[in-house]
Amino acid sequence: MTVKPLDLTVDEVRERIRVAGVHIPEERIALVHGLVRDALRPIRAMDTREALTLEPAPTFDAAAERDRHGHR
Amino acid sequence: MATAELGHLGIAELGRRYRARDLSPVDVAAAHLARIERLDKILNSYLTVTAERALGEARDAEAALRRGDAGPLAGIPVAYKDLYATRGIRTTAGSALLADWIPEHDATCVTRLRQAGMVMLGKLITHEFALGIQFPGHRFPPARNPWNLDHIPGGSSSGSGAALAAGLTVGALGSDTGGSIRGPAAFCGIVGLKPTYGRVSRAGVVTLSWTLDHTGPMARTVEDCALMLQALAGYDPADPASSREPVSDYTAALGQGIRGLRVGVPRDSFFHDVSADVAGAFESALETLRRLGADLRDVSIPSIGSAPAFMVIMLGEAFAYHARDLRERPELYGDVLRDKLTAGALFTAEEYVQAQRLRSRLREDMHRALAEVDVLATPTTPGTAPAFTTVLDPNFPFARTNMPPFNMAGLPALALPCGFAPNGLPVSLQFAGRPFDEATVLRAGHAYEQATEWHRRRPPI
Repeated sequence: MTVKPLDLTVDEVRERIRVAGVHIPEERIALVHGLVRDALRPIRAMDTREALTLEPAPTFDAAAERDRHGHR
Repeated sequence: MATAELGHLGIAELGRRYRARDLSPVDVAAAHLARIERLDKILNSYLTVTAERALGEARDAEAALRRGDAGPLAGIPVAYKDLYATRGIRTTAGSALLADWIPEHDATCVTRLRQAGMVMLGKLITHEFALGIQFPGHRFPPARNPWNLDHIPGGSSSGSGAALAAGLTVGALGSDTGGSIRGPAAFCGIVGLKPTYGRVSRAGVVTLSWTLDHTGPMARTVEDCALMLQALAGYDPADPASSREPVSDYTAALGQGIRGLRVGVPRDSFFHDVSADVAGAFESALETLRRLGADLRDVSIPSIGSAPAFMVIMLGEAFAYHARDLRERPELYGDVLRDKLTAGALFTAEEYVQAQRLRSRLREDMHRALAEVDVLATPTTPGTAPAFTTVLDPNFPFARTNMPPFNMAGLPALALPCGFAPNGLPVSLQFAGRPFDEATVLRAGHAYEQATEWHRRRPPI
């Protein structure tokens, strides 16, 4: 497996659209490309061996009581 | 008193006058309804006006004041972003998809403010499903900025910002996933507080991205935000992220000043793309804080470069929420919004998880910075409100701002006016603090506000 370049290409965006089975009109591809490329840049730059593995949301003390069905 | 004067009184001042029998909640509600009738034709901040309900609740508040058992919010006009469910009153989320939705229950926040005696004037325009600042193709026409009608009021709590600046309500609620309370506050020259994640319930508020969504108060002064937060804060079993952390007294410390308060300025970040006007106003604000006795220090947040990963989380979760409707009823979404939401389907599971890991690191770095200082100060937005002609370009991207990092970290963050640019548009200062330390954030904001005059200016409308 090779290390991905920092910037997602337009062709990669087109491939992702195909794989996801969604439609984005041609005139909006450049906009979506910029959006996805910028969002992914820090992820492509990270060293996945060093990042933390913590809870996804900053819930602090949100562990409310639940019954065995998960209801509060 | 002229309706223009009544439209700009704050919660504390109205409360004093109610108790002195100098003003009545019914007269104040009627004056606001008259102002809405006259001015909102231009501003378009309200989607629904609930005049009958407002007058009924004002009469109830008047009776409570006469009995002597009314709280500080009794008889105070309030309006809700149309993302908050209101029982029996249409709640659209700014969308064609929900254009006819009549909820059977109130959002928890609506219930709490009603129980506190606030008087509901109506529902305020929001950008479609609370995403972004303004896209073409919205089901409902946009609110306009009272400081310059050719400019946007910010978003997505656009109606909340515009109505407050124009004196069409005294308090409002907004929601904030990446700055949707603080952005309109900044662009409209008012005050907005995004509380700590879990501090204020989101139950009954339409979701955008549930690990980033926050709800909170908007008003014209920091004190008014504190008074509203007091009624809103607290555990709600209906919100899975709601916290059991005890609720502080948010007004008790407001008058204590900030002598010795350690204010951190993260100069290695948050200043990219900041305009000269905003930078100048921000530096002047720091000077005021120094003069008030604050201890200013530069701080570092090394992982701030990971903040753009916010978009992976936000769009990924938003797509997950909307996936079925996007596939089955795509025509009920605005064109540009639909395409931006659909971009959320383009991230992989690995990328979503990595974004959450980066978020954890950012949160840790912010906590480390806040171990050295009591609050952080930054410009809220890099520039003033853009013109409609700029943002209505379908290819206008999401604007970069200084707000999303505090959604990622879940920290309380307050936006308040700190000046005006030469174009007459407001500039805003942002304070952020430790988890559940809204009291210190509000104290810093109040001290700065009371030392300046920006919050007293009124738009030319």
